[in-house]
Parts: sequence; C-alpha cells; structure tokens
Amino acid sequence: MNTLFLSQLADPDVNVRAVMPEMIVAAAGVIVMLYDCFFPKQRNVTGAISIIGLIASGVVLATMWGGGFPETSWGGMVAHDNLRLGFSFVFLFVSAMTVLISTIWVERENVPVGEYHALLLFATFGMMMMSAGNDLVVIFLGLETLSIATYVMAGLRKGDLRSNESAMKYFILGSFASAFLLYGMALVYGATGSTGLTAIAEKLTNPAFPVQFPALLLVGGAMMIIGFGFKIAMAPFHVWTPDVYEGAPTPITGFMAAGPKAAAFASFLRVFVLGLPLVAGMQAAEYLHSSWISVVSVLAILTMIVGNVAAIMQNNVKRMLAYSSIAHAGYALVGFVGAGLATNNESRDAAIAAVAFYLLTYAVTNLGAFTVVTLLAEKNDRRTEFEDYNGIGFRSPLLSFSLSLFMLSLLGLPLTAGFIGKVLVFRPALEAGNTLVTIMVVAAVVNTAISAYYYLRMIVVMFFKERASDWRAPQLSTAMAIALIISIVGVLYLGVFGDGLIQRFSVSPRTVGIVQADR
Amino acid sequence: MNFINENLLTILILLPVFGAVLTLGHQMFWKQEGQLKWLTLGFTLVNFAVSLLLFSGKAGESGFMFEKNVPWITAINTNYHVGLDGLSFWLVILTTFIMPIAVLSTWHAVEKKATAFYIFLLLLESAMIGVFVSLDLLVFYLFFEASLIPMFFLIGVWGGENRIYAAVKFFIFTALGSLLMLVGIISLYYIYADQTGLGGTFDLVAMLTALKQGQMSFAGPMAGTASLLFLAFALAFSIKVPLFPFHTWLPDAHTEAPTAGSVILAAVLLKMGTYGLMRFNFALFPDQSREWAWLFIALAVVGIIYGALVAMVQPDVKRLVAYSSVAHMGFVVLGMFSFTETGMQGAVYQMLNHGVSTGALFLLVGFIYERRHTRAIADFGGLANVMPLYATIFVITAMSSVGLPLLNGFVGEFLIMVGMFKSTVLPITATTNWNYIATMIAGTGVIFAAVYLLWMIQRVFFGKVTNEKNKSLVDLSWREIGLIVPLIVLMVYMGVYPKPFLARTQEPVKAIEARVLPVEGVVKSQSDCRCDNEVKEKH
Repeated sequence: MNTLFLSQLADPDVNVRAVMPEMIVAAAGVIVMLYDCFFPKQRNVTGAISIIGLIASGVVLATMWGGGFPETSWGGMVAHDNLRLGFSFVFLFVSAMTVLISTIWVERENVPVGEYHALLLFATFGMMMMSAGNDLVVIFLGLETLSIATYVMAGLRKGDLRSNESAMKYFILGSFASAFLLYGMALVYGATGSTGLTAIAEKLTNPAFPVQFPALLLVGGAMMIIGFGFKIAMAPFHVWTPDVYEGAPTPITGFMAAGPKAAAFASFLRVFVLGLPLVAGMQAAEYLHSSWISVVSVLAILTMIVGNVAAIMQNNVKRMLAYSSIAHAGYALVGFVGAGLATNNESRDAAIAAVAFYLLTYAVTNLGAFTVVTLLAEKNDRRTEFEDYNGIGFRSPLLSFSLSLFMLSLLGLPLTAGFIGKVLVFRPALEAGNTLVTIMVVAAVVNTAISAYYYLRMIVVMFFKERASDWRAPQLSTAMAIALIISIVGVLYLGVFGDGLIQRFSVSPRTVGIVQADR
Repeated sequence: MNFINENLLTILILLPVFGAVLTLGHQMFWKQEGQLKWLTLGFTLVNFAVSLLLFSGKAGESGFMFEKNVPWITAINTNYHVGLDGLSFWLVILTTFIMPIAVLSTWHAVEKKATAFYIFLLLLESAMIGVFVSLDLLVFYLFFEASLIPMFFLIGVWGGENRIYAAVKFFIFTALGSLLMLVGIISLYYIYADQTGLGGTFDLVAMLTALKQGQMSFAGPMAGTASLLFLAFALAFSIKVPLFPFHTWLPDAHTEAPTAGSVILAAVLLKMGTYGLMRFNFALFPDQSREWAWLFIALAVVGIIYGALVAMVQPDVKRLVAYSSVAHMGFVVLGMFSFTETGMQGAVYQMLNHGVSTGALFLLVGFIYERRHTRAIADFGGLANVMPLYATIFVITAMSSVGLPLLNGFVGEFLIMVGMFKSTVLPITATTNWNYIATMIAGTGVIFAAVYLLWMIQRVFFGKVTNEKNKSLVDLSWREIGLIVPLIVLMVYMGVYPKPFLARTQEPVKAIEARVLPVEGVVKSQSDCRCDNEVKEKH
C-alpha cells in the first residue's frame, strides 16, 4: 500500500491540458473577484471578463473535441469523453447566456455585481468538474462548489424577503441532499474499496473480485439517487423547486433550471450508467442494475406527472416554469434510462449524447423564456403573474412572439429545438423495447399533451385576452437583444438544422467505461 | 423549367412561407395594412397556378410524382422526402384552390391585427400542403403538428365569444393523438432496423418496399405490437377526422373560428385525418386494418346517425353545418374501411366533395353573419324574399351536401354505399351479412341529412320576413358571387363528370384493396368490371 502511494507521488499523472477549460473558467472567476476588489461596481467590465473567460474556455473545449487526449488523466479522476465534452458545452452556453440576461437585472436591482459574476463563474467551474469527474470525490467537490455558489446567488437580493427565503430553503434542503449523496458515496466505497468510477465498474464486472457487500452497494446506490434526484428535481425530491425558483432573482432562476440541473444529470449519468453497468452472469451487478433502472423509471413517470399537473395550476409564470423544469427533468430521465439499458457502446453513447443534446435544447429554450420574463418583470420581479401578460401580444410583437416560440419549443412542437430533443431522448428508450420503458415513453407523450395546456395558456393570455390597464413595452438593451436573438436563432436552428450539432455530440471520443458484455 | 419540375412540391410548400415573410416585411416597412390582403391573395393565387403544373407529372419508379429526397437529420436518418400520388393529388389541388377563396372571404371581416392574420393563413397553407406530400414519417408528423399552430391562432385571436376554450380544446385534442402517433413512428423506426438489419428509417417508401418484399412483417409475434401501432396511428387520425366519439372539439372549433378558418378547417384540415388513415394505416398495417375495420365501421355509422341527429336540433346555423361535417366524415371513413375499390374511390371522392360543399356552406354562413352578426336560426326567416340570389345558391349548396343526383355529393355517397354493400370486411353469416346492415343504417343518414338541411332552409329562407332587421338586407356583392361561383361550378362538374377525378385515385386505391382484402383472380376481375360499369352509368 505504502509503496504504491509513493510511486504515485514520484510520477504524478498530471495533465494540465486535460483540465484547461475548467482552469480558464476558474481563473476568470478569480480575476473578476480581484478586479472587483480594486475597481468596484464596474458592471460592464466584470461582465465582459466573464464572457471572455467563458468563450475562451469554449474554444479550448472545441479544440479538445477531436481527441489526442488520454481517456482519463490525473490518476483516473478526470475523464475525457463524450459525456464531459457535450455537457461542458451546455454549461458554458448557459453561463454566458446568464451573464447576458442578468445585465438588465443587476442594473435594476443594484446587486454587488463583481461578486455575482465571480459566483457564476465558480458555479460554472463546479458544473464542469461534475461532468469531467470520473471519481466520486471529484464529483462531490464539483457539486459542492456549484451548490454553495448557487445558494448565495439565490439570495443575492438581500432586501427581498422571498429571495432570502429561497436561499435559505435551498441551502438547508441542499445540504441535506448533499449529505445523502456523500453517505451513498461512502457506502459504495465501502462495498468496492474504491472511489474511482472506472475501478468500481471493473470491480463489478470482474468475476475474480466479487463485490463483498452487495447490500451496501444497493443502499449506497439508493442514497445517491436521492442526492442526485434532489439536484435534478426528480419527484418526490422536487418540493424545494417552486419556492426556490419563484424567490430567486429571475436570471438566476433561469440559470438554475438549465445549468445545475444539467450538471447533476452529467454526474448522475456517469455514476449510474457508467459506474454501475449491467454485466451478464454477475448477480450483484445485475441486481443492482435492474433495481436502479426500475426505480428511476418509476420516478421518471412520477416526475413528469407531478411537474405537469402542478404546472397547470400555477398562476405565476416563474412557478409555472419551475414545475415545467421538473417535468423536463422527467423527459430527460427517459433518455437516461435508455442509456442505462443500451446493450452496446454505440447506442449507449448515442443515448448519452441525446440527453446532453436534450438539455442543450432545454437550456436554449428556457433561457430564452427567462430573457423575456426578466425583461417584463420590472423591479423586484413584480410582474410575473399570468395576468400581467394579458393582451401584450400585439403591443410588443417581438417579445410575445418569441416567448410563444419558446413555449412551443418547451412543448416540443416540430421545427423547434424541443421537438428534436424529445425525439432523441425517446428513441433510445424505445429501442430497448422493454415494457416498463415503453409505458414510460407513453406517459411522457401523454404528459406532453397535458403540458400543452399551460404552455398554450401563456400564448392565450398574451394574444387572445384583452388588457384592461395601460402597458408600455420595455426597452430592449443590447445585451438582452443579443441573448434573445441567440435563443430564437438557437431554437429554430436546432429544430431545423440541428443535424450538424447532433453529429458533433456523437462523434466525440467514446465514453470512458467498461465494454458491456452482450446480453 | 427542369428545376421547377424537380422541386415543384417544395416550391408549393415554400411559396406561402415566402409570402408570409414578405407580408411581415411589407407591414414593417410600409405600414399599409390595407394592401396585405392583396399580397396574400396574390400569393395564394400564384400557388394555385403553380399547383396546376402538377397535372403534367409522371410517376417515377416508386409510383410517386415529383419525388424529392434529401437528407435532413442524418443522426436519426430522417429525410426530407416528398412525392405525390393519386391519393394526395386532388387534396393538394383542393388546398391551393380553397386558399384564395378563404382569403377573399375575409376581405372586410378582419379588422384587427390583419398582418398576423394573413401570415398565419399563409403558413397554414404551407403546413397543409406539406402534410399531403411528405413521404417521411417524421416529416409528415412535423407538418401535421405545424398545421395546428396557425389554426390555433386563427381561432384564438379572430374567433367568436368562446374562442379561447375552442382553440385550446382543438389544440390539446389533436396534439394528444398525434403525440401517441409519434411514439408509433419511433417504434416503427426500430422495428424496421430490427427486422431488415439495414438500420432504422422513417422513410415510408422504404418501409413499404420492405413490407412488400417480406423483409419486414407484422405477422406472428409482432401482431400484438402491430395492433398497438395501428391504433396509435388511427387515434391520431380519428381525432382529426373527427370520428365519433372524438368529435367534440369540432363543433366548438368550427363555431368559434372566423369564416376563413372554418372553411379551411372543413375543406382541408379534416382531410388530413382520412388521408392519414389511407396513406399510413392501410399501407403499413393492412392486416390490422382489416382486423379492426369493424370498430371503425361501427364508429363511422354511429357518427353518421349521431351527427345528423344532433345537427337537427342545433339552433345555430354554423353549429348545424359543423355537426353535418361529423356525419359526412363518417361516410368517408365508412367508405375507406369497406376496402373495396368502389367504396374507397367514393371515400376519396367524398373527401373532395365535403371540402367543396361544406366549405361553401361555411362561406355562405359567413356572408350572413357579416351582415347580421348572428347565426341563430330563430333570428331569420323569409330571407328568400330579400336575398333571392343568396337563397338560390344556399339551396344548391345544401342539395350538394345532401346528395342530390347530378351534384357532387351523390356520386361520393353512392359509391361509398355500393362499396360497403359489396364489401366482405365484416362477417357474413348464414343469416346476416353485417356489411349490408352497416350500409343500411348509414343509408338512413342520407335521409336525416335531407331533414336537417331542408328544415333549416325552410326556417331561414322561406315564409314571411318576421324580423324587422332582415328587411333591409342586401343581396350578395360581386366579390361574394365571385368566390362562391367557382365552388358551385365545381359541385355541378363533379356531380356530372367525376371521371377525371376518379381516374387518378383508382390506382392507389386498387393497391390498398389488393393488400388488405386479397381475393382470388376471378372474383376480383368481376368486381372490377362491375365497378367500371357503375362509374359509366353515372356519367
């Protein structure tokens, strides 16, 4: 044991280039913080630094897409694969959009802007670590970096009671969930003797080293499902979502719905699909695999139903979007289960790419919607009820038609990004051809039809109703206009010409993991 | 010219989109809302003119004209594959034909937000044409869903009192059905991949080829799955038709929609359902179509009687016409599921008839609504005295809808009933032939149709003018005459000389019959020649 440790010290597996995108984001965060210390309140500068940092990181990420990197580095702790690259791209996009969307808000609410941008970058760093981490400890560190930054961001509007409530709730429940996650990781470590996911998967699949304590593994897996389930707002661990989303400042809500959720999905995928694979003849692994597949399938159905049915009853747009984000987590879980059931590496990678692409389409659409909601909200997020949108349709056609487009994309109508996303995540699940999963897909489409009611309601209030009071269209600042254009173009581009990007997502290096035995 | 020929269908789809963009641009830069209707009318007319080029088409190897196949999303192997055959030919023409009429019908009616109105009309035209020509399941689904949104806005913004309820109901009913179809479509992708080993596809032509060559089959262990898939597709289309008991969205949508919306809804949108059944259900699942025919025939017959009975008691003219649609579409479904050449020919013909006659009825109701802002039968009476021309045209149209010989409705309904009568799709026992029974019950629907329409005409047009407000009504204007006359001409033409229409639909219909109800050669040729005679008799 000792000698092994020493040899690792002597020859550390350091590959700085492999974590370059993450480091750029972290460095940008530090620069923003330092800059803010010396020249406070320079909104535009810190925003620009953040954007530049995120773009630079994205460029480096793009150059890494082709390959030329080892599958894992840093002693197997950092993976370089399909899962990481696809998801990291989503995170960078979400953060950059959030910076753009929040320009109007930081001005209106007078928040400490340097801290805000620094927190956002650190959160992004955390997310990227979550998708890159191939080790339970790295994943947990990433998750905590992300969570702590988000707790603070949710409560940034210090004077507002709801914002404080939101941050407090998020913090307490989030810590509780993190504890579950950590406990689960500890139990898995206890059962397998390793925190590295590749090592865990090897342990599970190698008949020569049978797992000593399958029960520990099962309990550990269950606890990790709770921990990740909380982060992706999977029912019944979703109850925090509406309150937190409603209370948090609108751009942060958009960020939370798109970014951290995707990050949790990345880790969730890596730990369960890649770390706990199915292997023929290995009883423990098979049992574990079938257990988590059934649990996640049932919870996915529950998540979709809870999210959609509750969303129907909301009168506040932010709450409606919060429940809709729960429902969307359910749809993404359909692809997740599809990835878990894949019988060969190609379809598994395709399913993982599909989930990443789905979350990208959701991020584009949702951030677009939040751009409009932020614009219309006025100070202290006062105008976020459905009736505040009454009859604005033809008075501000640009905003309301784009909001309608985003609603239709969330609904998953053809020619929008949401449609391609849905088709892609339903595909792998139907490929598996298993009854429970087919029921799950049918539940997903029935839920989509239910969701039509509340997404259309947005269009109904904007276009079909008359407005009693006066209303003036808000001014569109440059940054907001850019954000809006990016989301509109994104929604249509991904919906019509998404082919190129889907190709991109699936030609990336193969996912790190054990080659599964044929069933 | 070559370019146009190769891309004719794409041009037909994109021309209205282009028109919509131009409309938006025109309004943004010139702000002349009054000119937009001319622009829209121009585009729909040009599209109609372009669609006439379709007559020059020749079928290619796969049996489709103007076929075009380009990759769209290669990751899931879906292609932009369009083509035209006898089944879709007249429906495309009907769409491009009815659009200018719909635009003209709203000449003075649209006061608010005209820009958006015309844009949605044009986008709707694109989507409808797309539905009829796409040969890739995913692309079909795309157009099928895309047609919902413009209609949703047309009803919701420019509709009547209860428009929001009607629009949302319309959308959710149709969306639910089509989403289940999406599951079916994706499952087909994998079934194809599994059975042929060629990798998945959404291409209808590829699937049909595989089915014909036996590489793909729904026999044996797949029968259960195939039934589910068949029902998933059928549900989507039945809601659209609408077949009883999925019809409840239709009266609301029709009543609340603006005139142009009702006309398009009746003339084209409902046809998507029946077209879909023939194009996809019958072609992909011939055995399941035969097995489940009893259900659809039963629902169709119930729909015919029920629609007629409910139409009889409607106090509102537009609602009455809407319920008559339920009955008429029941006839179409009945004819289709007879799986005889005669019956299916009649069904396709009746689809066109319904588009022309019911479209015209909605136009006529729209005329009177524009004058009086009411549609209640009780508000009228003796209109023939003040508006003789209007009354004449209305009676002709109603007769065409009832099925008076020498008008179009008769040909369709007659063929459908003969087809059903001859059919062997329902069980024939020693004592009862269920095919006869179905035909006979459906036949009473024709009588009911005469009852509710004639009774309505009597109450609205004949007798004395009881309401003071009706005394000063003006008869039809030249614009109104201009847009109703082509429809009247068509009604007479289609009633007297249906041959050119039936000639084009014959081949695809025969192909369906051969696959669903294969019969021995002798019997087949007999039935063929009997059928030809019938068609000749009617000439």
